[in-house]
Order: sequence, then structure tokens, then C-alpha cells
Amino acid sequence: MGATAAEIRSAPIPAASGRVLRRRLFDYFGWGLCALAFLLLSSAMIWILVVVFLRGFSALTWNVMTHVTEGTGGGLLNAIEGTVVLAFGGILLACPPGLAAGIYLAEFDRGRLAPVIRFLSDVLVGVPSIVIGYFGYVTMVVALGWKFSVAAGSVALAIISLPYICRTTEMSLRQVPRPLREAAYALGAGDGRVTMGICVPSALPGILTGILLALAISVGETAPLIYTAGWSSYLWTGHLTNEPVGYLTYAIWAFITEPFSSAHALAYAAAFFVTFFVLVISIVARAVLDENAGWRRLRSWERRKA
Amino acid sequence: MGNLTESEVIIGVPGPDRTIQDSVNEASKSALKIAVGHLNFHYGPRQVLFDISLEIPDRKITALIGPSGCGKSTFLRTLNRMHETVNGTRAEGEVLLDGQDIFAIDVVRLRRRVGMVFQKSNPFPKSIFENVAYGLKINRMANRSAIAEIVEKSLRRAALWDEVKDHLHKSAYSLSGGQQQRLCIARALAVDPEVLLLDEPCSALDPVATAKIEDLLLDLVSSCTIVIVTHNMQQAARVADYTGFFLLGKLIEFNKTDVIFKNPAQKETEDYITGRFG
Repeated sequence: MGATAAEIRSAPIPAASGRVLRRRLFDYFGWGLCALAFLLLSSAMIWILVVVFLRGFSALTWNVMTHVTEGTGGGLLNAIEGTVVLAFGGILLACPPGLAAGIYLAEFDRGRLAPVIRFLSDVLVGVPSIVIGYFGYVTMVVALGWKFSVAAGSVALAIISLPYICRTTEMSLRQVPRPLREAAYALGAGDGRVTMGICVPSALPGILTGILLALAISVGETAPLIYTAGWSSYLWTGHLTNEPVGYLTYAIWAFITEPFSSAHALAYAAAFFVTFFVLVISIVARAVLDENAGWRRLRSWERRKA
Repeated sequence: MGNLTESEVIIGVPGPDRTIQDSVNEASKSALKIAVGHLNFHYGPRQVLFDISLEIPDRKITALIGPSGCGKSTFLRTLNRMHETVNGTRAEGEVLLDGQDIFAIDVVRLRRRVGMVFQKSNPFPKSIFENVAYGLKINRMANRSAIAEIVEKSLRRAALWDEVKDHLHKSAYSLSGGQQQRLCIARALAVDPEVLLLDEPCSALDPVATAKIEDLLLDLVSSCTIVIVTHNMQQAARVADYTGFFLLGKLIEFNKTDVIFKNPAQKETEDYITGRFG
């Protein structure tokens, strides 16, 4: 008991007994299994990325980015433009109701409505996207007479984005520490001011991440667009209805099964663009969610204001 | 100490001039700030406060002590109706602020008059300046130039001005724990409250930062009524004029601090003070 720190430090390390050896072996075994699982998972992802990027790179030419599709050849400018328009259109449509629903769920859920909204939102996440495409076709394309169009495609993507935006908004608002709200209430702030002035700004990185996640999903969707946006080999002329529009995932889906090497090249290039966009959005989302990055942003903003 | 008369026994009050000030205050204004009558508090089906009656004197420091879970924080939060921000709470009874029923006046006005500082410092994710200005802005209490003046005055009253005057626009999170807590006090002072409630404001601070806050409270009490919940009996003895002892949701004893610590009337109080439990 009376050993001093120096005595303990200088004491010889006991030789590994049988039990210690067994424990170490078991430890190595566990680590080995973890490494194996990691390799298995990451190799699939790396394989996909390598195939997409290698084939995409070899198919990438200046032409692909500056020309529109001609038959099964040409470029993808129309599809790149269409994907950007549709994805941003979908996000713009989904944000107001998604953010409002998320704020309602997190801050004002004293009524009976909240569990219903939460359940519906969870159901919406689970609905296969092709069902949403079919729904969009029946309602917007046919019944409303919008034809294949940016409007119909954007609404379909908005329906898919909505639950992600709603739930990430709710979750990030719930993570705002209660003492922060109490501080505002104690100074005489009302519910609205506490929510909009204190909670939403604090939760902003999380909310933005949700929106970016929804954007990434929209960029990668195919099924809901096939029935609502159609396909066009021309650039979009700006009409919201009655004008089909191209998008990258269609090029992958349609051209990879064509028997022409020019079509294959377009499919590889389109796959490269989609993967690249999603990757960039994910990296941006990560950077936004990084709390330190968020704080740095806030501080520099305050410095500029001062 | 044994040869002092009872009126001379004042624990933790610095200097004899304070007693003079006390008697002047007591003579010149109504000594009563908050009167609580038969307050019962329910948290859902559970009752946590039982028939609390208590009179909090004006411009004095009143300390509430007691073991964890005795209801002292709940009691404190009832005084500016902060309990209403938690679902399922119910307060019954009478709480009068200057003779007015606090449950009958507008909650925003009440909280402006009765400010609060919390156990853990909780500055907003804004600049130091914006933190102090927040209450003024949301209550539209001052214009732009006046706000800057009041922010400075509040930071001075909270003994923080000299440490932050050169970086008012830095994030409040760049301050140390003790500074953040004083910032929260400055934020509460900016709207010029009549009463300041403090819920264990020093429990997360080291002794040096604690001493600063205690000095600050002794300065502030000349202009506002202070009610402080504390786990630290020495703190109550050092700063408080009056002390209330809570146990299991009941107010066991309330009296001048020196009476509570030197000559408590109740056995439970004596047991707690002497460290026999709690």
C-alpha cells in the first residue's frame, strides 16, 4: 500500500502470464474481425467509385459538357442543366413546408397533431420513389394536364425531399440546449422569438445539412422523374409545364443498355457527374455540420457586422 | 463572539456601514418585495412544494438552502413563472410582487421585472454585446445609442466591463466559465429588473470566480432584491441577509441568516446546518 509513485513507475512489468496472453490474443482477434468488416464494406464502395470515376474520366470530353444530346450521342449539357433545375426546384418547393413542419414538431407539439405528422413523414420516407413518380404522373402530368415538365418533376422531388427536411429540422431543434431557451424566456421573450431568434439560428448547421442531404437525394433520383419530367435532348426553354426536360439519371438508365459505344460513354459520364455532385454535396454538408466550422462562420459574420 | 449581543451578530456582512444602510432602507421603504402565500406546486401527478408561505424583503439577499430535490429551485422558478415553460406543471397559491398577483400580470412584463440567472452559464451563441443587448432589443426598451450605454453600464455592474471592453463583438463562448456567468448576470441586469433570481449560480465555478460573484451580489443588493438558491451553506452565510431552509418540498424555517445558522428553531435545520445529513 505504501508504494510511492516513483516505486510504482520503476517496478518491473510482469511477464505475460497465460491469462494475459489469452486476453491479448482475443483482443487481436476482435480487432481483426473489425478490420475485416471495414474492408468488406469499404471495398464495395471503393469499387463502385473506381469504376464510375475511371469509366467516367475516359468518357469525359469537353464536348460532353458543352453539347446537348443527339440521339444516343452528343453531350449531356441538357441533362446537367435539367438535373440542376429539377433538384433546386424540388428543394425550393420542399423547404417552406418542410421547415415549417419541423419547427412545429420540435417547438409547438403540445397538440394531438404532432404524432400524426411524424407518422406520415415516416411513411413518406418509406414510400418507394417509383410510386411517387406514378402518383405524379396520374395527378400532375395527366389530370392537371401539365404534361412531362419541370413543374411535375420538381413537385415529385419535393415530395421525396419533404420528410428529410422536416425530420432533420425537428432533430436539430431538439438538440438546442434547454438552458438557452430558458435564458431567452427569462428575459421576457415569447415563444416565437425564442424559436426564430434563438433556436433556429443555433440549429442552423443541422437544418442546412438536412437540406443538403435532400438535395443529394434529389440529384440521384430516377424513378419519380421518368414519369414526371420525361426526357428532352434540348436545353430547357424556361417553361414550367408542357415541356419535358432532360436529367442525368435518365441518361444512365436509358443509355447503358443501348448497343452503341457512344451511348455507353454518355452513361458513364452521366454516372460520373451524378456521383461527383452527390460527393460534393456530402462533403459540404459535413463541413456545415462540423460544429467548429459553424462557429467560425458565426464569429466571422459577427466580426463583419461589428 | 460570545460577548456580542444578538443584534451585533452579523455573519458574512462586510463592514459596519452596511448595518446603517440596512436600517435606513428598512425605515424609508416598505420592507416587503415578494409575498408568497400557501404555494403548492405539482409536477404532473407529483406534488413537489407543500404550502409554502414566505415574505422576501426588499433590497436584501435571501438565500434558499436545502438538500438536492428539496424544491428550492422549483420555488425559485415559480417566482418569475419559468415553470410555465415546462409542460405538466401546476402552481397553486398566491405570489405577490409589490402586492400584485404575479399570475394575473403579463408574463413578459413579470420576467422583465424579475430576472433570472441559471446554474450553468447559458450565453446565447451571439457576441458579448448582443447577449447583453438581447433583453433590451426584444422588449424594445431603448434605441440604438441608448443600448450601447446600457450594455456598458450593465457590464460594469456585473464587474465584467474591464475584462471585455476591447472585444465586445467576440463570441460570448470565448469567455471563461466565470466570465460567462457574469455575462449572464449582466444580461439579466440590462433590463433593470427589480428582483434577481439566481439558481446555484456558482456551482460550476472555482473559488476565485465564486468570490467575484459574491462580491458582485453584495454590490447589487443596494439596487435590487436578490434571491439565491445555493447548495453551499457557507455561501448563504457569507452573502445572505435572510435564509430559508427547504426540506422535502416544505419550508422548514425562514429567518435572518445569523439566526438560522446560530440559533435555528427547528431540529431539522440544525441537523442540516451542522452536517448531520444532506
